[in-house]
Amino acid sequence: MSGTKPDILWAPHQVDRFVVCDSELSLYHVESTVNSELKAGSLRLSEDSAATLLSINSETPYMKCVAWYLSYDPECLLAVGQANGRVVLTSLGQDHNSKFRDLIGKEFVPKHARQCNTLAWNPLDSNWLAAGLDKHRADFSVLIWDICSKYTPDIVPMEKVRLSVGETETSLLVTKPLYELGQNDACLSLCWLPRDQKLLLAGMHRNLAIFDLRNTSQKMFVNTKAVQGVTVDPYFHDRVASFYEGQVAIWDLRKFEKPVLTLTEQPKPLTKVAWCPTRTGLLATLTRDSNIIRLYDMQHTPTPIGDETEPTIIERSVQPCDNYIASFAWHPTSQNRMIVVTPNRTMSDFTVFERISLAWSPITSLMWACGRHLYECAEEENDNSLEKDIATKMRLRALSRYGLDTEQVWRNHILAGNEDPQLKSLWYTLHYILFMKQYTEDMDQKSPGNKGSLVYAGIKSIVKSSLGMVESSRHNWSGLDKQSDIQNLNEERILALQLCGWIKKGTDVDVGPFLNSLVQEGEWERAAAVALFNLDIRRAIQILNEGASSGKGDLNLNVVAMALSGYTDEKNSLWREMCSTLRLQLNNPYLCVMFAFLTSEAGSYDGVLYENKVAVRDRVAFACKFLSDSQLNRYIEKLTNEMKDAGNLEGILLTGLTKDGVDLMESYVDRTGDVQTASYCMLQCMKVKSESEVAQSCPTLSDLMDCSPPASSVHGIFQGSPLDVLKDERVQYWIENYRNLLDAWRFWHKRAEFDIHRSKLDPSSKPLAQVFVSCNFCGKSISYSCSTVPHQGRGFSQYGVSGSPTKSKVTSCPGCRKPLPRCALCLINMGTPVSSCPGGSKSDEKVDLSKDKKLAQFNNWFTWCHNCRHGGHAGHMLSWFRDHAECPVSACTCKCMQLDTTGNLVPAETVQP
Amino acid sequence: MELHILEHRVRVLSLARPGLWLYTHPLIKLLFLPRRSRCKFFSLTETPEDYTLMVDEEGFKELPPSEFLQVAEATWLVLNVSSPSGAAVQAAGVTKIARSVIAPLAEHHVSVLMLSTYQTDFILVREQDLSVVIHTLAREFDIYREVGGEPVPVARDDSSNGFPRAQHGLSPTVHPIQSPQNRFCVLTLDPETLPAIATTLIDVLFYSHRFPSDLLLTSSSGELWRMVRIGGQPLGFDECGIVAQIAGPLAAADISAYYISTFNFDHALVPEDGIGSVIEVLQRRQDGLGS
Repeated sequence: MSGTKPDILWAPHQVDRFVVCDSELSLYHVESTVNSELKAGSLRLSEDSAATLLSINSETPYMKCVAWYLSYDPECLLAVGQANGRVVLTSLGQDHNSKFRDLIGKEFVPKHARQCNTLAWNPLDSNWLAAGLDKHRADFSVLIWDICSKYTPDIVPMEKVRLSVGETETSLLVTKPLYELGQNDACLSLCWLPRDQKLLLAGMHRNLAIFDLRNTSQKMFVNTKAVQGVTVDPYFHDRVASFYEGQVAIWDLRKFEKPVLTLTEQPKPLTKVAWCPTRTGLLATLTRDSNIIRLYDMQHTPTPIGDETEPTIIERSVQPCDNYIASFAWHPTSQNRMIVVTPNRTMSDFTVFERISLAWSPITSLMWACGRHLYECAEEENDNSLEKDIATKMRLRALSRYGLDTEQVWRNHILAGNEDPQLKSLWYTLHYILFMKQYTEDMDQKSPGNKGSLVYAGIKSIVKSSLGMVESSRHNWSGLDKQSDIQNLNEERILALQLCGWIKKGTDVDVGPFLNSLVQEGEWERAAAVALFNLDIRRAIQILNEGASSGKGDLNLNVVAMALSGYTDEKNSLWREMCSTLRLQLNNPYLCVMFAFLTSEAGSYDGVLYENKVAVRDRVAFACKFLSDSQLNRYIEKLTNEMKDAGNLEGILLTGLTKDGVDLMESYVDRTGDVQTASYCMLQCMKVKSESEVAQSCPTLSDLMDCSPPASSVHGIFQGSPLDVLKDERVQYWIENYRNLLDAWRFWHKRAEFDIHRSKLDPSSKPLAQVFVSCNFCGKSISYSCSTVPHQGRGFSQYGVSGSPTKSKVTSCPGCRKPLPRCALCLINMGTPVSSCPGGSKSDEKVDLSKDKKLAQFNNWFTWCHNCRHGGHAGHMLSWFRDHAECPVSACTCKCMQLDTTGNLVPAETVQP
Repeated sequence: MELHILEHRVRVLSLARPGLWLYTHPLIKLLFLPRRSRCKFFSLTETPEDYTLMVDEEGFKELPPSEFLQVAEATWLVLNVSSPSGAAVQAAGVTKIARSVIAPLAEHHVSVLMLSTYQTDFILVREQDLSVVIHTLAREFDIYREVGGEPVPVARDDSSNGFPRAQHGLSPTVHPIQSPQNRFCVLTLDPETLPAIATTLIDVLFYSHRFPSDLLLTSSSGELWRMVRIGGQPLGFDECGIVAQIAGPLAAADISAYYISTFNFDHALVPEDGIGSVIEVLQRRQDGLGS
């Protein structure tokens, strides 16, 4: 109000009224204009509100500050602080016959005139009004007036009388304050502390001071320059904001020595700082000559505790109008609503839009919060898109122990639900790789060679390695003219065919067993095609007939068999012509490619090779059989890139678990989000690695860390060793994400299983021990291993009896030989094995012996309450707290179990169907 | 009690009345545009004889030398007494200062200038006397020296060696006093309102020399003051104990006062209704010394 700058105030109770004050006080009424026209004389505040001027009060000149009476009043009772230090009560009401009649016009006069800087009504005693004044040499700067005081000194000083000539009622003058504080100082800002009626926080000349009116000689203070605009957070009564120039300081009154934080400094001096009354931790600030209001959201920092923790604050700004803003006021009840006034008294009413925070749930729903509203967006239950969702699938697969079958790796696709051909292909590929690995290594031991390392690197590498090594020679096969194209099956091609699953291990190139297994699974078309590609047309026809007669297959198979038997070498025959056109009408891709193969020109098999509906492994096997080295190489290269681009898991057959494979997996994860499969698949490469390393030499950790390949190894031609692959940051990212996902689902046991699985395959992923039990006497860890190998990850079992490698006495500290503490229940020193659980019903739990054994180990663990420090064997504690809430130590009343926040959580998998 | 030695290094000047026109521009700049000159301490007192200026060195640079300007040799430091935070219940102000600062300094032969304002009292001492001041007052005050706006405690020097001057009694010279009939009004002004009344102030200071009666916007508390002028001859800057011989008796009689030193004379403002007793008290001082 100094000069021309208006201030603005919302009525604390009649929430549709506000006052603008500059040289006079103007009361406005806010109305909604949503359903009505703008009334004549109203001022538009926003798109849907307008203000009507109700009354003007110009009885109080030299206004410096205004404060609205906090109790309910229909009269709009206001206290006005003037330039001479007087505080005048005035009203904007029309009705003067109210209970405040006596109060209106009352003046509170300080001994020495000087500017009144600030006013604050006591929130608890509505009659108390604190006024902060400028400095006077010997006078007090904080005066607390009781507005109902009738006291007027008997002897009015002479000068007072002289100046109050014209004042008809001298009784309206009050010169005796209730309290006087802050002598020989200036008071720039004031606020009452909501904790107690008699606590007042004041920004004095050089310090912030808390005056306690119960003992006025005492005050708490802290020297600071940030003494302006002190204001208490309405939601957190120990938090106070004040400012100086462009800097806002946030104080915690419980730790008053220095600001708990200071906000980023503004280039221009601040003029107003206010906490939002409708939302916690939201502070609005305004600087001079600015058209924006800056908002600081301290939502997530309700209690700054540690010195080091730098709280995060979200800073935003709003620009309610184009002009500079003179002042603003939060609406007392309407959420985040604010009104601003510009120097030329245009006003704008707006609501600060709430930040939206959004979170995906790990189970197919979406939540977002905006202000006090929380929205959940979930798919409808009966919608089968829910079942198709990868999150649902992964959850179910995690429950069915997908990925954890390390003996028969191919079975994992059945655990995954046996519905995804790509997964099926992937797990078969991995199965063959591991299988072949084992086999080739066995072979390698007899005859030196290193095909074993090739296996995990995929067919692409295998094919490459054979390039230029072998010149092809023709076999003469009987029955079909295609024999001219049959390639000599060198070692690499055999290996590739083995990986494709066409032939079994060994040098046997017979596809018979494979055909039988296909027939057994009812894949007649595929079996027939494979038989045909092995140039056994009779077997193909036989298989088709079998399929037709079995009743499960398509009856048309007979027709196809008939057509097939009409095969002729004749180039221009009718059969050939018809087949090459009609084959396209066949629905089954395998039937289709059979005819494509038979009708193709020698050496050009594009109809087979690029039939995308045919499984990649069959096409690759076909290519291995019929393409020349250079053709094969080109084809594999092309197909690999195709697979990588599409993220097709069948391509793993080609890439193996190399960097190429990671690229392929990356596009698969990009497409599906299936980090589960990616994690398990990539972990397999360590299995390949570790087994091969074991076979070759005894690996040490340093060897594993050293990525340079052994001299005899063929790693050089592939992109990276298995360890490189696993350490690829994408792979680590998938693994970490999958672990997080399991945690988010509360599948803690599943996550633990995964971690165990992972650490078996990749020992370097074992976390270091982060928790140690230390001896009360010597302070050293009681872990035996620690003395020799500090900070090596060792299991907890080593703390107990069973894991003790040395035969030292287990009930004493290995460092100082003092006994370990006693278990609160069995009163035996820790370190001894647990006797059977007292009162425990273990008989019904003895189902799984291995599980029981693990449990017994856990029962030996140390456990104790962090609050009362009592504890003992984990098994004993568990059984005790099954029936009790209190600590087992007799005199202790600690409710240990209730303090354990995770103790009452139930892992989700136990409640799953 | 705390004694703050402020950062300002102040020069005291006298501007002859005929030379005012020459200094109108720098004075307006110092008065109304303090940011332009970086001047932090500025006082202008008009007396019938001259204008006394007390400005810090930044402000001093703004004033061109001329035949009208008379500059006191010394550089002065500004002292300010503030009651400690926490125990502000004792009476403060000029009464307290008279006993605890003015008298001891006078006893140790330190010449002081006083400048009372509405808010506080400033004591100006010569820079060369600072060590004596600190030594003299360290017993009763926590002394802080302001550096860069922050108070820094001054270590108390316990050694009494190197104490330059012997102690003397009060100055035997009793300066005559006069009390004109003018009534004075002491005001305080919010710096933000300064622009609003700037034209009026400029008019009063430089042109009309008459204070308009309607400008007393903050005088509603209504205290009016009478002046007592000390000194028949110009007092000079070397004599000590002048403030003490006025402030002492007034403090003893518990009469509040503003005290303003100028280039030539000292002035005390006392409450209008107390002027009679003040004259009486100060006359008695003369008698007491005379007898």
